[in-house]
Amino acid sequence: MSEKIKLCDLSKCTGCRGCQLACKQWNQLPAKQTVNYGTYQNPPDLQPNTWNVIRFQEISENGAVDWLFRHDACMHCTDAACVKVCPSGALYHTKYGTVALDSAKCIGCKECVFACPFEVPRYDPETDKVIKCDMCYSRIDNAMQPACVKACPTGALRFGDKKEMLQIAYARAKELGGDASVYGDTFVDGTHMIYVLPRKAAVYDRLPEKPRVPFSVIAWKDWLKPLSLLAAGGVVGGAFLHYIIHGPKDTSGGGDQASREGGE
Amino acid sequence: MKKGMIKVSDSFERIVHWCMAISCIILMISGLGMMFHSFNFIAIPVGGLKNLKLIHNFTGLVFIPSLLFAILIWWKEAGIFRFPEDLEWIKVAGGYLWHVDKVPETGKYNPGQKAFFWAVAFFGVVMIVTGLIMWFPLGFPVKLVRWMYTLHALGFFVIFSFFFVHLYLGTVGVPGSVSAILTGWVTRSWAEKQCPKWLKEMEESGKLEVSE
Ligand code: HEM
Ligand code: SF4
Ligand code: SF4
Ligand code: SF4
Repeated sequence: MSEKIKLCDLSKCTGCRGCQLACKQWNQLPAKQTVNYGTYQNPPDLQPNTWNVIRFQEISENGAVDWLFRHDACMHCTDAACVKVCPSGALYHTKYGTVALDSAKCIGCKECVFACPFEVPRYDPETDKVIKCDMCYSRIDNAMQPACVKACPTGALRFGDKKEMLQIAYARAKELGGDASVYGDTFVDGTHMIYVLPRKAAVYDRLPEKPRVPFSVIAWKDWLKPLSLLAAGGVVGGAFLHYIIHGPKDTSGGGDQASREGGE
Repeated sequence: MKKGMIKVSDSFERIVHWCMAISCIILMISGLGMMFHSFNFIAIPVGGLKNLKLIHNFTGLVFIPSLLFAILIWWKEAGIFRFPEDLEWIKVAGGYLWHVDKVPETGKYNPGQKAFFWAVAFFGVVMIVTGLIMWFPLGFPVKLVRWMYTLHALGFFVIFSFFFVHLYLGTVGVPGSVSAILTGWVTRSWAEKQCPKWLKEMEESGKLEVSE
């Protein structure tokens, strides 16, 4: 099965939040009461019951004010730090290259929460499990589009084969010109959500410029894990070899201590 | 009991030793079950990975006081290197690796055992601090929590390696050692080989306990 990509063209997003709502509807995630904290962004961040959120950002340039809207959700990394650390196998790659989550297996250890370079997974104290966008696995596996893509009225969100989506993305970035770029295909071995960013990545709130699997995760999973197996083999094998080559220590009291009495 | 046996540990030392040893073994086995997917099967007898995680976390709570008492009990005898005898011992690796005519006499614990003490004391504290943060990570800075997992895995690597050497040398590698931590009594010849300097000092000060 070919890899699929959700393309998110921010130049076309009007901040209508249809995707945010469609996600809640399909995944049955009723909203909770929130408070206004001085911005249109609501809720303030990704939550256990909000798997995609439109980030609202106001920037002023040369006296003019501009609105930035960013559909923020799981990036579905190929080299996914969350999958790498998950001890239970709850997080896994699907045949579409996306990262889904088998909730029944999740033990709520929160290791993925801290591994993700995009800080996406959210811990839900009510279920004692972690949850995130699964690219609507139940839908895409039945040849439907993800709910958010389906709901998007402007065509900012699209879903399709990797090759086709990348072509569209690069053509669009070229068309936009200036600082416009494609974001996602060049790091963590390629993400399965990619952006067309009209501005430099650094401008966007909470969007890492050079995301990568954290070094601590690489040291932990790629180095220390094999090293500890090697060490385990080393000490077990070493002890055995010591026993048969050098032999155990003689504590029975030979030599000049032979005549000493006691405990024999 | 046979006559002439020598007392090397009191009951409090033995209780602390076994609380620490058993909790540490449970922590290593349950940790292994979470560390490698191929060891996930360790969770089957306890009804799943979630239970294994809880067993690991709560056994950690037994390990914490055991380690603290162990450090309090043993730091004087096993935590301080004494020169020159310890250096002499290190030069010949205590006679454990090649034949040595006369192994330099050391106190109650030899430098190998002192290294083990330090590995357990230092990395034990590392395991406790990192483990507690990993258990309740929400609210700590992301970058800090990320390194906790790495340090916890490093500690596992060190503790497991030393643990197995300790297990070997405490049993078949040095016959007669197990009773030191089971009953507290060892043979005189064992004490003469394992802690000659300590034995002499205890005899001279008249503090040595010998079975009648
Ligand atoms: C001798 C001491 C210990 C050993 C050998 C040990 C070993 C391990 C190992 C091998 C892992 C799996 C790491 C991985 O996936 O790479 C682990 C995970 C973990 N350990 Fe320990 N550990 C020890 C002490 C503790 C203590 C004292 C605590 C805290 C009370 C603790 C809490 C944790 C937590 C929270 C995890 C992550 C999994 C989870 O969420 O339960 N550990 N440990
Ligand atoms: S964005 Fe985070 S949660 Fe999503 S696949 Fe990548 S590492 Fe995992
Ligand atoms: S919280 Fe759940 S999904 Fe995340 S790493 Fe732990 S078991 Fe895996
Ligand atoms: S792909 Fe599905 S789960 Fe993910 S944000 Fe869109 S609607 Fe939500």
